[in-house]
Amino acid sequence: MQIRVDGKIIEVAKDKTLLISLKNLGYKIPSICYQEGLKPEGRCRLCVVEIAGKLVTTCNTYPKEGMEITTNNDRVKVARKVNSELLMSEHVQTCSIENQDHELCQIIQDLGIRESRFNPKRKWKVDLGASVIRDNNKCINCGRCVQVCATIQATYAIDFAGRGHKERVAPYSDHELNDVACIKCGQCIAACPVGAISEREHIHEVIEVLKDSKKHVVVQTAPSIRAALGEEFSMPAGTLVTGKMVAALRKCGFDKIFDTNLGADLTIMEEASEFLNRVKKGGPFPMITTCCPAWIKYMEHFYHDLLPNMSSCKSPHEMLGILANTYYAKKINKPRDDIIVVSIMPCTAKKFEITRPELTSDVDFVLTTREVAKLIRHFCIDFKNLNDEKFDPALGISTGAGAIFGASGGVMEAALRTAYELGTGKELTKVEFDQLRGPKGIKEGTVNVNGIDIKFAAANGLANARELLKNKDKYHFIEIMACPGGCIAGGGQPLPVNEEIIAKRMEAIYEEDRLLPLRKSHENPIVKKIYKDYLDHPLSKKAEMILHTYYTPRSEF
Amino acid sequence: MQILKESSMMAFNKTVEKGPKWVIDTLKNKGLTGRGGAGFPTGTKWEMVFNEKETEKYVVCNADEGEPGTFKDRMIIEKNPKTLIEGIMIACHVITAKKAFIYLRGEYECLKENLQKTIDEVNTSDIEIQIFQGAGAYVCGDETAILRSIEGYRGHPSLKPPFPTVQGLFEKPTIINNVETLTNVPLALMMDDWDPKLKLFSLSGKVKHPGVYELKEGTPLSKLIKLGDGEPKAIHFGCFGGCLAYEQFKDIPLTPEEVLKADCFLGSCAVIVTDKKTSIIDVATNIAKFYEFESCGKCTPCREGTMRVLAILENIAMGQANSADIDTLLELAIVIRDTSFCGLGQTATNHVINAIKYFREEFEERLCKSE
Repeated sequence: MQIRVDGKIIEVAKDKTLLISLKNLGYKIPSICYQEGLKPEGRCRLCVVEIAGKLVTTCNTYPKEGMEITTNNDRVKVARKVNSELLMSEHVQTCSIENQDHELCQIIQDLGIRESRFNPKRKWKVDLGASVIRDNNKCINCGRCVQVCATIQATYAIDFAGRGHKERVAPYSDHELNDVACIKCGQCIAACPVGAISEREHIHEVIEVLKDSKKHVVVQTAPSIRAALGEEFSMPAGTLVTGKMVAALRKCGFDKIFDTNLGADLTIMEEASEFLNRVKKGGPFPMITTCCPAWIKYMEHFYHDLLPNMSSCKSPHEMLGILANTYYAKKINKPRDDIIVVSIMPCTAKKFEITRPELTSDVDFVLTTREVAKLIRHFCIDFKNLNDEKFDPALGISTGAGAIFGASGGVMEAALRTAYELGTGKELTKVEFDQLRGPKGIKEGTVNVNGIDIKFAAANGLANARELLKNKDKYHFIEIMACPGGCIAGGGQPLPVNEEIIAKRMEAIYEEDRLLPLRKSHENPIVKKIYKDYLDHPLSKKAEMILHTYYTPRSEF
Repeated sequence: MQILKESSMMAFNKTVEKGPKWVIDTLKNKGLTGRGGAGFPTGTKWEMVFNEKETEKYVVCNADEGEPGTFKDRMIIEKNPKTLIEGIMIACHVITAKKAFIYLRGEYECLKENLQKTIDEVNTSDIEIQIFQGAGAYVCGDETAILRSIEGYRGHPSLKPPFPTVQGLFEKPTIINNVETLTNVPLALMMDDWDPKLKLFSLSGKVKHPGVYELKEGTPLSKLIKLGDGEPKAIHFGCFGGCLAYEQFKDIPLTPEEVLKADCFLGSCAVIVTDKKTSIIDVATNIAKFYEFESCGKCTPCREGTMRVLAILENIAMGQANSADIDTLLELAIVIRDTSFCGLGQTATNHVINAIKYFREEFEERLCKSE
C-alpha cells in the first residue's frame, strides 16, 4: 500500500501499524508505552504525527490508501515536547537527564530538552520488596509493567490504582508486593523504561563477607550468565564470556568459583531418575519441572491441584549450594557456618527462593547479572581485557546438558538425554532435540523409551504455561519457565532485552553445549564422584534429604 | 414541551406489528440524531447493529449525565420515564436484544426508585431492563468507558475501532444512546408533527430563571438569554464546550455548526452564564479543578496536563504569574486538546483556550505587578 510521508511516496505493509512501518523505514518516532508484540495502549501520546490536520498516535493507527503523514512539523514537535516534559515531571526528580539507561531520558535528549517547565509535585512511598523494589517516584504510568504482568505472565500482581494525577501502579489494594500474589519474576523490571522497578540489591552484603577473612566465600554462576554478562561491558549480545567471568570473580576475591551447570547436571540425574520411577509406577503425570522459582511460586498461588505433579527436585543452584555446605565443606575441613555461598543468577525470583524457610541453609546471597556487573565495576576490574580462567574443579566441571538450562526447553532436553540412556541402556544417536529449541512459547514432541511414547512439552512465559496446562493430561513431562525465552531473558539480565538479543543469547548457549566434550549429565565425572563418595545413587535416602524439597499452597491474592 | 408527550406504548405495539425495518426507516426519514453531543443519526446507528450477525446484542441507555450545567436528562427521567422505557424497549425489539442497561449517574441515586417502579410498571415484555449505577466518574460518560464499567472493569475509555456497534458490551454489538434520544424515539414514531429540531437546553449560572428550555435548533443565543433574564459577559457551553464572549456572539444561532465558528461545541446544549461581576479566571480555575479531579489518569497529557493547567491558573489567580506563564498555559492547553486519548482530555482545555482568546486582557491584568 502506498502512503505519503513528509511528501515522499512510500510503500508500507497494510497490516502493520504506522509506528512499526515508519521505524523500519528509518524514522525515529519517540514512543514509550508501546511494547513489541503486545497490544498498543496509546497511553504516552509521544508517537504522534499529523494526518489530515489532526494529531494521531501512530502506535494504534494503520495505513490507509492515500494517507498523508507529516512526521515532524512544529505542531508535532511541540506536542511531543510538552508531553515528554510532563512525563519528565513525574520521573526526573530522582534521576539525571543524561541517564542513558532510561528510555525516557534518551527521548528527552533527542528532543533537545534541557529541563521541564513543570516541577515535580508528588511523593510516593517506595515499595521495598524482598526481591523486587518499586519506586513510584520514578514511575511515569506508561503501563508497560502492568501489561507484561497481565498478558505475558498472566499474574495480575500489579495494576493501576487511583484516578487522574493520583493514578499509580500498585498491587491490589495498595498492598506491598511482598503481600500479594507476585511471583518475583522481574519481567516488570525488564519492561520498565525509567528504572522505577529494580531488584533488591545485595551487593554491599556480599562485599562485606568478602572482606571477612574467616569466611570461605564460594560463588556459583548460572548457565545463562556467561551468555549475557558481556553486554553489561558493551560487548555484543551473544558473546560467551565464561573465562573472563571466572577471572573477574576471582579478582573480586571469591575463594572458589563453582559452576551452577554442575548443579544442573545433578538436577537432571535426580529429575530423570524421578521421572523413570514415575514411568515404572504409572504416574502421576505429567511430571513438571521445578527449576524456575517464579513458576513454583505461581503454582503455589494458582495451581494447587498440580502439587503432586511437581518434581520434588530443588533448583540447580540450591543443589550446588547445599553440596558446598556439606560435601565440599567436609572435604576442605571447614565448619558449615564459615562457608558462604553466593549465587549469580539471571533471576530476581531466586532472591525470594533463598528466603523460603525450607531452603534457607543452602545459599546465602543471590546477585543478578546486573548486580555482578556492578560488583565487578566496584572492584575496578577491566572486564574486557581479562584473560580467560577456569572454574575451580572441585565443583566446577559440567556438561552441555547443564549449559542449555539457560534456554527455554533446555531442561527438558537435558533430562531427556539422560532419561533415555538410563531408561533404555542404549546410546542416544542424536543428542539435540530440535523440537525443544527456538523462540516459540510452547514446544512439544515425543520420544520412545522402552516402547512407551513419552510426550513432552516446554512452555515459557506463564500465559503460555496456562495455555499448555489446559491440556496437561496429554503429556508425560512438562517444563515450565516463567520468563519468555527462558532464563537468558530473566528479570535479572542486562537491559535492554528484545527478541533479537534473546535469540543471540540462546545461540551462545547452544554453541557452548555443542563445543563441550561431555553433553550428558550422567557422564559428568564430578557427578559420578559425588554419588560414589557421598550420595550413593540418585534418589538415595541422603539425596532425597538434601536435594529434594516440598511446596506450600499459598493464597490466590 | 414535545419531550414530555407520552406515547403510552402505542409506538412499541406498532413496532411489534410493523417490524425493525420500519422503525429504522422512520427514524432515518424523520431525522432523529443523537442528543448526547455527537449528533450521529440514530436510525443509521441502529441499522448498523441490526445488520450485525451476532445473536447476542445489548442496548445501553446513557444516563450518566455528568456534564456540569446539564440537567435535561434528569428532567426527562423525573417527568417522562415511561416514554424513555418505551424507547429502550423499541431499541431492544429492533435488534432482538434480550437485555438493556440504564447506566444511571452515581449522583442520581434519588431517581433510581421511581425509575425502577416505572420499569416494573411499563415493561411487560420479556426484555430485561437493569439500572446500573455508576460510581460518579465523569469519564464514564464516554461510551466505551460505560461499557467497561458495566463489565466490571475500571471505567477507562478504550480504543475505537472496534466501535460499540460491532463489539460493544461483553464484545457484542451494542446500541448506546442518550436519554433524550431514546425518549424521542417513540415520539418520532408516533407523532405526525414531531419536530427533530426541538432540543432541550439547560440554562444555568447568573440568570434569574435557570432551567430546561425546549427550543428550536438555530434559535439565537440572545433569545435564550432573554428567556432566562440575564446579563452575560461570557457563555460556557457546559465545561467541555468552551466559552465565548457574549457581546461578540450574542446573535449566533444555536446549532452545532454555528457555535463551532466561535470555536465552541454545543454538545449536550448546556448554557452557563457568567456575568460582568465574575472573573473569567476564577471560572476557568473552577472548571480546571473539575477536570483535574475527573481525569481518569490513562494518558499523559490529560493526567499530568490537567493538573498543570490548574496549577498555572491558580498562580495567575493569585497574581503570582508572569506573561511567560500565559504562553505556557496556552501551549499546554493546545497539546492536551490535540493529543489526549478520549473526549474528556480533548475537550478539557477548550475553556482555557477560548478564555485566553476572548479575555486575554483579564489574564494580563492579574499578572505579577513587580515585572
